[in-house]
Amino acid sequence: MRSLKKLSYPYIVWMGILVLLPTLVILILSFSDLNIFDIGVLSFNFDAFGIFSKESVIIAVKNSIKFSFIATFICFIIGYPMAYILANSESKNKTLYVTLLIVPVWSNMLLRIMAWEILFFPESILNMFGISLDLIGTDIAIIIGMVSMYLPFMILPIYGVLEKIDKSIIDASKDLGANSFRTFRKVIFPLSVSGVVSGVIMTLLPAMTAFALPERLGAGKINLIGNIIERYFMETGQFSAGSLISVLLMVMIVMMYLGLLRFDKEGEMLI
Amino acid sequence: MSKILVDLKNIKKSFDDTLVIENLSLYIKENEFVTLLGPSGCGKTTLLRIIGGFEDVDEGTVTFDGKDLLGIPAYKREINTVFQNYALFPHLNVFENIAFGLHIKKIPKEEVEKAVLNALKMVKLEGYGTRKITQLSGGQQQRVAIARAIVNKPKLLLLDEPLGSLDLKLRQDMQYELKEMQKELGISFIFVTHDQEEALTMSDTVVVMKDGIIQQIGSPIDIYNEPENRFTAGFIGESNIVEGIMKKDYLVHFGGYDFECVDKGFKENENIDVVVRPEDIVLSSKRKNRITGIVDDITFKGVHYEIIVMVEEKEYIIHSTDPVEVGEVVSLNFDPDEIHVMKHTNA
Repeated sequence: MRSLKKLSYPYIVWMGILVLLPTLVILILSFSDLNIFDIGVLSFNFDAFGIFSKESVIIAVKNSIKFSFIATFICFIIGYPMAYILANSESKNKTLYVTLLIVPVWSNMLLRIMAWEILFFPESILNMFGISLDLIGTDIAIIIGMVSMYLPFMILPIYGVLEKIDKSIIDASKDLGANSFRTFRKVIFPLSVSGVVSGVIMTLLPAMTAFALPERLGAGKINLIGNIIERYFMETGQFSAGSLISVLLMVMIVMMYLGLLRFDKEGEMLI
Repeated sequence: MSKILVDLKNIKKSFDDTLVIENLSLYIKENEFVTLLGPSGCGKTTLLRIIGGFEDVDEGTVTFDGKDLLGIPAYKREINTVFQNYALFPHLNVFENIAFGLHIKKIPKEEVEKAVLNALKMVKLEGYGTRKITQLSGGQQQRVAIARAIVNKPKLLLLDEPLGSLDLKLRQDMQYELKEMQKELGISFIFVTHDQEEALTMSDTVVVMKDGIIQQIGSPIDIYNEPENRFTAGFIGESNIVEGIMKKDYLVHFGGYDFECVDKGFKENENIDVVVRPEDIVLSSKRKNRITGIVDDITFKGVHYEIIVMVEEKEYIIHSTDPVEVGEVVSLNFDPDEIHVMKHTNA
């Protein structure tokens, strides 16, 4: 075991340099007044906290929560039945279907976002069929984009747990008088909760931190936290304000993560 | 004569062109302990699943308490099953597992609690209610599975090799306890096993199956003493099976000599198989008109010695409490009523 332990050192160094250190820098920056256009002496204060009274920031936080929750909810509504059908399918092509589900994830996400973008403009290839979606910059565009991006991440963990449920347990439930609906409610669903929790985490977190997706499909009209952070860093150069919002986002995610973990007591499905 | 509870008639069942059950008819009476005995793949579990409602039949009828059973889904049948791997609900504790069926029936809370505690007492697991399933040993899980089934007071309990994964001592205890439970509850048990000793110990009736066909139905004593064919004789206990000729009623010829026997009803000079159980043969020094051979091997088995005697290329197994020397010339002695004659079947 000792020799194996050594193999983890590069990883620890890697994590230290690329995760721990940047996080520390961001934390420090949050309480400074560093400005890229006015690099003076680093002094600590709470000036950056002023951004929380800014309307654009408040709207972005609300948007992030709103869109990520709606997208996650829709992913669950579509994804659970799909995972259920897939897990119970006796088709010989089962593996093929699961693969088909994963394949889109292998292509570049930005590319997929831009594909939607093209379709959402009033003038698009869809005009050929007499359809003009004209969705760009709307809530619906963002939600459609998010659902299509993250649906596989909802389906796969749920499929994973459903697939593993011993068929004889379902027989036992029926044997004890439960019809299909009650068997689902009392046995199958409770046993799949860990997969649902994983799916929700895998969908909710990327949706909340989404940045490219609202930028392209929201066309500047709809901003999420990620877009605000980008603006502070890249456009106005207010590093302390950008860092503070990043920290806020991290706190939100960690809290949500801990909240979800309580449902998954076993913790076995977590990635 | 008690009433017939389950009546299966002309059941046929195949999976993907493989015939699993072939034209099988069987009835089970109220308060009867029936064992389906056979090697794996003989269709006994499939038969149990048909009664439980987990498999359809291709042909045939099943009635339960006089009513057609086949159209009724598993969850509406007054039958409960103890599954082979117990199939306990991993997300529920012991109490909740046992209470599952009662909760489904919307029975008041106090009654459920009383019934569950009673069931726990019956399987000797008092105080285990709040344990997780994963914290239980195999034997305890098996008891929970039994409690979960009997708490619903079914008219018929199906048990699919429930003792298979238990160690010998525990298995013997559970055999006894199950039998006691069945008497106490007054319900019918259909018990599936491939263990002949288990079948003989527990059952009122043993059904011997092979390749989806019933070989013999009878009491343990009948099955053991009067096997109908080579398969049953060989599957139930150890036996010496010898081909012979039935000269006339009460006179059989095998191993080079004529023997008096108690069997009749065969044709004159019909080819038959003879069964002599190893414990029914007594060895003596060489005698006239007796099958005689040389001791080839002797193994100490605890209660008895297992002795192999070679008689002209044919091995005889003999169980005896007296040891003999390897190489000794011995004669085989048995009484007429210890010879059992069966119709001839090819080995």
